[in-house]
Amino acid sequence: MSNYNKREEATGWLFVIPYLAFTLIFFVVPFVWGVMLIFYKWNLISPVREFVGFGNLLEALQDRRVWAAAVVPFKIMSMFLPTVLVLSIGIAVLINSFKRMQGLLAVAFFLPYLASGVATALVVKGIVSYTSPVNSAISKVIGYVPDWLGNSFLAVLVISLMIAWRFSGYYALIFLSALQSIPNELYEAAQIDGAGRITSFLRITLPQLYPALYSVMILAVGMMFGIFTEPYMLTGGGPNLATHTWYLEIYYQAFSTMRAGYASSIALYNALAVFAFIGVVRKIMQSWGRALGWED
Amino acid sequence: MPKKVSNQKPKLTWVRFLRLLDKYGITALRYLLMTIGIFAASFPYLYMILQSLSPWREVNRRIVPSALTLRSYEWLLGGSSTTLARPWLRGFGNSLLVTGLSTTLMLLVAMLAGYALSRLRFRGRNVIYQVILFQMFYPAIILLVPTFLIVRHLGLYNSYAGMIIPKAVNLWAIFMYVSFFKSISPAMLEAARIDGASELQVLLRIAIPLSRAITAVIGLFLFMERWVELIWDLIVVQEYSMMTLNVMIATMSGPYASYPGPLYAASVILTVPIIIVFLIFSRYFTEGFKFVLK
Amino acid sequence: MLRNKSIFVLVVLVCLAMSSAVLAESATFWTAPNPSQEVFWHLMAEQFMIDNPGYNIKVMPMAEAPSSEATILTAIAGSTAPAASENIFIGFGAELVASQALVPLDTLDGWQELLASRNMEEAILSWAFPDGHYYILPIYSNPILYGWRTDILQDLGVDEIPRTYEEIIKVGNIAKDKGLFLMVRPALVKPNWWERWFDFFTLYNAINGDQPFIVGSEVVADDAAVLEVFHFYDQLAKQGLILTQDIPDAFPVGDSIWTELGPWTFPGWKEQYPEMVYGETFELTMPPVPEKFLEQATNKTFGDAKGLVLYAQSSQEELDAVWDFIRWVYSKPENDLVWFERTSLPPVRDDLASNTIFSGYLSNSPALVPYAEHMPLAIPPFTNGEFADIQTALGEEGLIPVVRGQKTPVQAWEDAKAAIEKILSR
Repeated sequence: MSNYNKREEATGWLFVIPYLAFTLIFFVVPFVWGVMLIFYKWNLISPVREFVGFGNLLEALQDRRVWAAAVVPFKIMSMFLPTVLVLSIGIAVLINSFKRMQGLLAVAFFLPYLASGVATALVVKGIVSYTSPVNSAISKVIGYVPDWLGNSFLAVLVISLMIAWRFSGYYALIFLSALQSIPNELYEAAQIDGAGRITSFLRITLPQLYPALYSVMILAVGMMFGIFTEPYMLTGGGPNLATHTWYLEIYYQAFSTMRAGYASSIALYNALAVFAFIGVVRKIMQSWGRALGWED
Repeated sequence: MPKKVSNQKPKLTWVRFLRLLDKYGITALRYLLMTIGIFAASFPYLYMILQSLSPWREVNRRIVPSALTLRSYEWLLGGSSTTLARPWLRGFGNSLLVTGLSTTLMLLVAMLAGYALSRLRFRGRNVIYQVILFQMFYPAIILLVPTFLIVRHLGLYNSYAGMIIPKAVNLWAIFMYVSFFKSISPAMLEAARIDGASELQVLLRIAIPLSRAITAVIGLFLFMERWVELIWDLIVVQEYSMMTLNVMIATMSGPYASYPGPLYAASVILTVPIIIVFLIFSRYFTEGFKFVLK
Repeated sequence: MLRNKSIFVLVVLVCLAMSSAVLAESATFWTAPNPSQEVFWHLMAEQFMIDNPGYNIKVMPMAEAPSSEATILTAIAGSTAPAASENIFIGFGAELVASQALVPLDTLDGWQELLASRNMEEAILSWAFPDGHYYILPIYSNPILYGWRTDILQDLGVDEIPRTYEEIIKVGNIAKDKGLFLMVRPALVKPNWWERWFDFFTLYNAINGDQPFIVGSEVVADDAAVLEVFHFYDQLAKQGLILTQDIPDAFPVGDSIWTELGPWTFPGWKEQYPEMVYGETFELTMPPVPEKFLEQATNKTFGDAKGLVLYAQSSQEELDAVWDFIRWVYSKPENDLVWFERTSLPPVRDDLASNTIFSGYLSNSPALVPYAEHMPLAIPPFTNGEFADIQTALGEEGLIPVVRGQKTPVQAWEDAKAAIEKILSR
């Protein structure tokens, strides 16, 4: 009690009031409301709402579309993560190797992050259209035009690459600032031991990037469960639900077929999936970090 | 420092070749990769601009058009025999208004809360901080439907406020300010307090001026994210007069899909302002960025 | 004194302004997100307000997010629906009626007069709801027809336009040998529910006419007809005659020779492809049927018909204002002519073919004649509130895997039927 200065305490509460009021209205209330909706069958406009108990939750478990949505983040991740890690670490090392104009180069690589998913989708749609110059060039080499958005593998690849394009520059900045905080003595010591360029990259640079890698992994993995714009604009979730993400399904159920309660049930599963998977990734990253000698 | 390779056999030409490569080849490679990388990063923008200036029959059929024309922009902004002009300029104004106000609110709330949570001692502080961390990881989509219902009950549906107020708080921004204000030397704040300044004055005169670079970066991130927001704006506003550019483009499906040229023109109008804002603030960028990424 | 006078004048002016503001009957009307329909309603509202000062009708297009139906539902949920909107098809109307969101139009003043003055007393009958009321005033009805690039067919040495599946496959192979596609339709593999109207129901209705697809919560579709349609697409896909990737404007550009066509395409062509001339570069036909059905087929097609509704949540004043506006629009056949000219969508009238007001326009726009003529052959969509889910399932479980060659037609229909029945039993 004596630790708290009365005036300071009052000011403190005053300063967080905007945040608290917002959280009450736009987090706590929707949170409770969403949980309640789960137990009803309701189309958002009808005067009648029917209590269905656990019906929505059970139905979602048997819904092919929901299962597809549960798998899609992992499919995209399997192509997105390797691509984005190689690209962003590569860009960071590249920028770091230039002595001047690092800021300008970083800005250039950051540009894709500014693109609206809507506009990017439009460009990609144009590029993959059957008669596009890119496709004509490809078909001259391989003899046919790949069905970019119609083949399950290629559709996932296209979406993964779009997201990787957008985020590589951003993640590269995270790695860049980590690179620049690596003490030079480490490299000098390695050089004396006779380590070459590649060895010192593997033995020193990569382990020193661990904290940055940790943040990038958490950011990237969390994002995988919230993809919406790219498949919404390009594939509509197809082919055969190969790119049907959680957000697409929730959006479809809530605002297309107007099944508000069902959509909330799916959203709950989405939340569980994110928490569980982020938990796993954190565990893995932490134990790897300990192996590298980093404390938690 | 002695040269490592100097006392090895210099006669072998492949070693000399490797040394030359090491000296010049890596540099050439670096410049090559950098050029390729920058080209790849900016290619979609170039493509978008070229297509928007392309004659209609060449759109998506040629990368570099055979002639440049403003027809797509005229169609988009001025309408034609079969169409009314969409309120694009208004949409641009809407985007600016909604993004500007949201970003300002997010910054203000985050500064206040961030300062309180890092520099003021009060009961409940740690609980609030934990709640913020929980909220950061809680998927926003689960709140979409009920938030929509609340907005409707508050009478904010189909209004500017409906787009702005539910996006007035950003947890990441609060989180960033907490870490930043923690890093300010307490002595400076204490000196001001001894001079009799109130907490608000300390915040306004010392803490906020110190945070200029970081505020520019946080603000930039918030601005960019808000500018390209799709799903919420799409749901909450139904009238063209209030729609943001991003939504206007997303809803131009159906009959408009057969006018790809104007769609590219719209994308250019959507993207150019954000790039300009970014370039204006980019001098703060590298300075503030290092902190944001810690 | 002078000052007092001016204050008095000011007060009177303010009072007048206020009372006129109160008197002004304002209402919002949403148009379809189709540029030419938007133009029409803007024109109408302008004229109406010139003729009837004191009204304030706001016309604005509805967004497609992700479909116009979703937009309307969301607006009703948000209590911000307009007083009235067009673009309502009967299946969606059924869902709105079930949620008590619409005004029964036949209870409003002047309903009978409107039907009489628009000459639609026959045509309206098929729009009655089970409770005997009318909730939708049909505006237009599009029989969906098929377009053939006759100029290209001639180059290919084909003189007769194919009418059966077998003939189409034959012609498709000739086109394929010349590097052309029979049909380019990316939507064929998109799960968007409304696409099934244009690729499935056109062909289905051509074979079996008005046998309903769904009654109550039961699928009563004609299995044989469904299988014929699936089998046709199966063949087209297997023989490489259709492209499900995107080619912008494949038909007018000449990359494909066959496509389904609604009259809404024509205003855009006028602007972008003036070389598309009916009778010279393209012809219109009813949907094809399998050869063995040529005799007994009903020769119908799918009818994309939409109308306008009044929303029950609006205030009485708004409803009165918008209803006055609507009655004014349909009191004169000239307005329907303006509609027809602007949008190319055939207005729902019993006298469309006989009234001289329209015949003048039709003789100048020969491409629209087949649409006007075939209007009685257009079958409306099935009436079930779960239309979005049902047609999504029809695509995802049925048609799309057939086109992709992942399921046999029999298997696909079995799966789709089971999925639809599951939705209906919910």
